[in-house]
Amino acid sequence: MAGQSNPDLSVFSAPEVEFLAEDEMVEIVPNIRMEALNMICGDYGPFFPQIASKVPLWLAVALKKRGKCTIRTPEWMSVERLTQVLEAERESPREFQPLPFHYVEISRLLFDHAHDDIPDLYMARSLIEDIRDVRFHKVETGLETISGRTHAVKLKNLSAMEVNIVRPFMVRALQAFYKHDSPHLIQQPRAMGSRQPQVVDRGPRRDLRPR
Amino acid sequence: MAFSDLSHLWHRQTNKKWIYLIMYGRRASQLLRELACSETGQLTTFNSDAFDQVIKECNEHNLQLQSLIRKIEDENLDIQTTRNEDHFGAVIHHLSLIRNKHCLMAYMYNRAETIQSLRWKVGPVLPQEIQEKLNYSEEEYFKNHSAAIESYMSELDLDLTVDMVPPKDPYIRVRVLDDIGEVCLGDHSISLTKHSLHFLRRTDAEPFISQGIMEEFLE
Amino acid sequence: MASGSGSGSGSGSERWSEGLETEAAMAMETTDVELLKRAWRNEKAAPEILQFEAALVLRAREQIQLLEETLEEFTENGVDDLVVSLYQMDLDRTLFLLRSYLRIRLQKIEKYMIHISKTNLWNRLSEQEQRFAKRCTDIMEKHLEQSVLSRLPYGYQSILKQSISSEEDDMVPEPQLDTFVFCKTKSAVGAFQLDDTGDEIVDLVADDLYVLRYKSIKGLVEGGRIDLV
Repeated sequence: MAGQSNPDLSVFSAPEVEFLAEDEMVEIVPNIRMEALNMICGDYGPFFPQIASKVPLWLAVALKKRGKCTIRTPEWMSVERLTQVLEAERESPREFQPLPFHYVEISRLLFDHAHDDIPDLYMARSLIEDIRDVRFHKVETGLETISGRTHAVKLKNLSAMEVNIVRPFMVRALQAFYKHDSPHLIQQPRAMGSRQPQVVDRGPRRDLRPR
Repeated sequence: MAFSDLSHLWHRQTNKKWIYLIMYGRRASQLLRELACSETGQLTTFNSDAFDQVIKECNEHNLQLQSLIRKIEDENLDIQTTRNEDHFGAVIHHLSLIRNKHCLMAYMYNRAETIQSLRWKVGPVLPQEIQEKLNYSEEEYFKNHSAAIESYMSELDLDLTVDMVPPKDPYIRVRVLDDIGEVCLGDHSISLTKHSLHFLRRTDAEPFISQGIMEEFLE
Repeated sequence: MASGSGSGSGSGSERWSEGLETEAAMAMETTDVELLKRAWRNEKAAPEILQFEAALVLRAREQIQLLEETLEEFTENGVDDLVVSLYQMDLDRTLFLLRSYLRIRLQKIEKYMIHISKTNLWNRLSEQEQRFAKRCTDIMEKHLEQSVLSRLPYGYQSILKQSISSEEDDMVPEPQLDTFVFCKTKSAVGAFQLDDTGDEIVDLVADDLYVLRYKSIKGLVEGGRIDLV
């Protein structure tokens, strides 16, 4: 089916991950007066000039594009916080720092549509890029530790985009190890009329390694 | 997946007898190679020559198989327990036949999956160049499958062939790249001069963008 | 826009009981869009088809219809373009989720129709989906029958079995439940047994991300205790 490729490997397309991110809440400061919006996705407003209000990101961006508000940069996107996060990411090679699940998409949408609302735009942008790089590197080295004994993996604080990128490889690798560790899953040739006894699938031994 | 998982037949035995089996299965495996070589979602022309030959092979295997079984029976041996050369010969013909069946089914089935995806990508009527790649049964399959989707959608009173990707803001900020002049959009007209910025309906802007005389404006 | 009650339609009322989780979640002020998004995500990530969210789909459709009517009124009454376009986006987003959700299910039905119709997965389909599955199976069978099976020797003509000597259906594509999925815990699940033998126990804490075999957490997904991402 179009736009829905192999369900095992790529579950969400990049536009779909962005779509999900657009529902994250942000704070806006409207410059207009507008009645409350009673939408299917929730009730927002009423809106008054200079009075902050919480709305989903897609709504914030729509209002911003129409020149009706400024978007408040989320606290985690401040240069101070991002600097701390980057340092911590570098210091702990096996852990991911807590960031919003959609930090990559949220920051990109804000950089694209609300750049004039972001203090220290260039600094913030390059910090996010560095954080992404450090984290991707960690993901890559983490993948090297997958082995025949890894049958469950804990990925605390991994973000949506990172999940999406790592998914195809990770699923295939785990699957391959799982299969090779379960002799009964590797099919034996069958002769006419004779059948293998059915084996109860207990799965191979698992080892949960915190990452 | 049972339709395609046959790899075990290839690895198990190095016994010389199996060389014949590999020869037997060769034509059928060409069909699968054809599938493997084509890009996902793309169809090659239905290979009716190879297909018919594999069908023929199947029937030949069956004749050989039947005659070997008859031979065992004629010798008054128990068909269930006999393990002589005729038995193993019969096994090889049986397995070859099954392998060929698998390949034929995998070929048809995988093509059918691509064909049904065309309803979503291309629509209810296939262009000539795709139509030419299908055999008769596949053409019929496409029509029937489209009709099944059609009737599901009409029961639901909801068109599922639109909204294939997540929606975007129906309005878009654009920058004009060339002097386009006065343009009538819906109930009002605007002047699209070079370098001017506008806030337009995405559907109104798209023709200009695809002509390269307008671009989406991101700050 | 308040959520509809979901009552009133006679069809498939036995499935309403499945909505208890949904009702509970609604009590916690979760919007139907949020629930639809979860259903969409789970359906996209799970290898096999999940229970059709009948009540939720019905409510979503009611809200969509209501908003469509409201938008028409807005246009007639000359309500501000800004407001209209914002509501339009809300409508577009909900419609996308609904359509995509229904489409993924059709895709799974197309892929595993024979398996679904032979197992109790059949009960997870809506009535319309069941009719669709039935029709698809007939069409596929006819197609394979006339192009392959009828041309094979006697004993090898089954669509389900490799040959007459197979004791069980060994030619039916089945979803791979052994596959690994990414999942997020909503609240602490606690010590959870990953296999039948009890050898492997994992402590699933709240809001954490795991990669696990779908088979082992199937129950948690179906019970709405864990989300696939």
